Amino acid sequence: MAEYLGVRVHVPENDPTMLAYLQHAGTHRLTLQRCRDCGLLQYPPGTACEHCTCLDFDWAPVSGKGTIYSYEIVTHPIHPAYRDRVPYPIVLVELDEQRAVPAPDYALRVIATLVDAEGRPEHEERVAIGARVEVAFADLGDGLALPLFRLSDEPPEHALWRYPG
Amino acid sequence: MNALRDRYAIVGIGETEFSRNSGRTTRALGVEAIRNAMRDAGLTPADVDGMLSYHGNDSTDSPTIAGDLGIRLNFYMDCSGGGSSTEALIGLAIGAIEAGMCRTVAVFRAMNGYTQARIGGTGRQAPVYTGGSIPQAIYGMTSAAQSFAPAFMRHMYEHGTTSEQVAHVKVAHSKHASNNPKAFYKERVTVDDVLSSRWITKPLHLLDCCVETDNGTAVIVTSIERARDLKQHPIHIMGVAGRTTKRKGNYHWSYAPISLHAGQYGGPIVFANAGVGPEDIDITGSYDAFTFTTLFQLEAYGFCKVGEGGEYVSSGIIELGGARPNNPSGGHLCEVYSHGMNMVIENVRQLRGLVDDYCPSWQQGEHTYDYSERGCRQVRDPEITMNLGWASPATGSALILRK
Repeated sequence: MAEYLGVRVHVPENDPTMLAYLQHAGTHRLTLQRCRDCGLLQYPPGTACEHCTCLDFDWAPVSGKGTIYSYEIVTHPIHPAYRDRVPYPIVLVELDEQRAVPAPDYALRVIATLVDAEGRPEHEERVAIGARVEVAFADLGDGLALPLFRLSDEPPEHALWRYPG
Repeated sequence: MNALRDRYAIVGIGETEFSRNSGRTTRALGVEAIRNAMRDAGLTPADVDGMLSYHGNDSTDSPTIAGDLGIRLNFYMDCSGGGSSTEALIGLAIGAIEAGMCRTVAVFRAMNGYTQARIGGTGRQAPVYTGGSIPQAIYGMTSAAQSFAPAFMRHMYEHGTTSEQVAHVKVAHSKHASNNPKAFYKERVTVDDVLSSRWITKPLHLLDCCVETDNGTAVIVTSIERARDLKQHPIHIMGVAGRTTKRKGNYHWSYAPISLHAGQYGGPIVFANAGVGPEDIDITGSYDAFTFTTLFQLEAYGFCKVGEGGEYVSSGIIELGGARPNNPSGGHLCEVYSHGMNMVIENVRQLRGLVDDYCPSWQQGEHTYDYSERGCRQVRDPEITMNLGWASPATGSALILRK
């Protein structure tokens, strides 16, 4: 049985798209839907191409590298799975692929938690807009994995910005 | 020119006590709110033949509430929805009457928002992550605060907005609530109180968040012809915009700027329908689920430039006595969290000149306009008000009313 932080992960058979996403992540490559018609990537996985409405997709591995676009530091947990994880950062990561394509205001942005090398929540003082990150994976069981992010060694994309105080 | 402008009116308003321990069912709360609204309007159960409500599987349906009140319905819909439903359903009430399906519609929300179904969950339910949980919830992003915070953080980064600036929203609304006998939180707070309250999710403090409560609320909509025969001065509905969304409303982060609210699309619709602009609005009623949501909405609807909301909300403009007061009742932050209804009800009271403050003769429309604590909260002679509804950064509604 697949689980994450002690909580069962059950993606039913009638949701093969989301199941495939987690299965591809199980090989430890961040893999996104690519439209068979227009060739564009999208995130999160959906049932039609958000760019052209095509219903058919391939799965395309991407670099898993990106930049923190925004974030928050959760201190008051709601979900029981996170009760022992606070404070934890949630980041919005802008992936390197397909930035400003097909429109100047579009990007592949991914909500995820930011973890350290041991998979624990990253320390708040290390989280900043502009910081470079790379994908990491939490294995769920049954061949599935959940993409997360961790800080990379690359220099920041622009001057780092943190919440003041 | 919109042919329906000023053709419909809000003729009755009603609410229950606002508490954190109603000790009653949502059925009882909805019944009392609608009964109060009918009595306010001078309507009998035989006069009301339509109902609209919204819920998150946390309320009671219209036939049950109508049945209790002896109302036979020609039309009802109980819609799924939270914030920004109020304004949208008032628009749908006009549509239902215009389509000839019914004549007079009670719009209600009944919720035990503290003792039963808390927004974002209580953490008590047995959790399972399904496919729909993968892009967001599995990462520990489940509550409204958690879901909205990255948009506000990005606003701070892009525009230099500060926690101190948005704290002024709570300060202003707490001043207003101190003059509202029915408000849940009547104590005035300071900017320091907000900034020193504990973190919920940085950049949001506890006092940046609204007050979850148990309550029932209702407004009654009918045609202006019928409205003229009723007890209250009819409050004209000038225009509505209902639940406009940003692109990819289910995952708006794909499109920049992530801190610009869906009101950027609703504004042109509602202002065109109403035939007025932001400069004509005397009172705004923002959906202050959080302090910063007020800022987002005021920017999106053009009350200030995008990026200048921090300056606007901390300038004194939004306070009673300021150029354009916002949420004179105290709003969601201080009066009650009703998923948008209480701000519409307050604007109706303001336009009637019959705000229920601490002025001894408010029921005769006599107000002191002394806005100090435990005093007046009636704005002087407002002509036009606007409600700004919020479901998320990606979804909003708007409603413009006049005397």
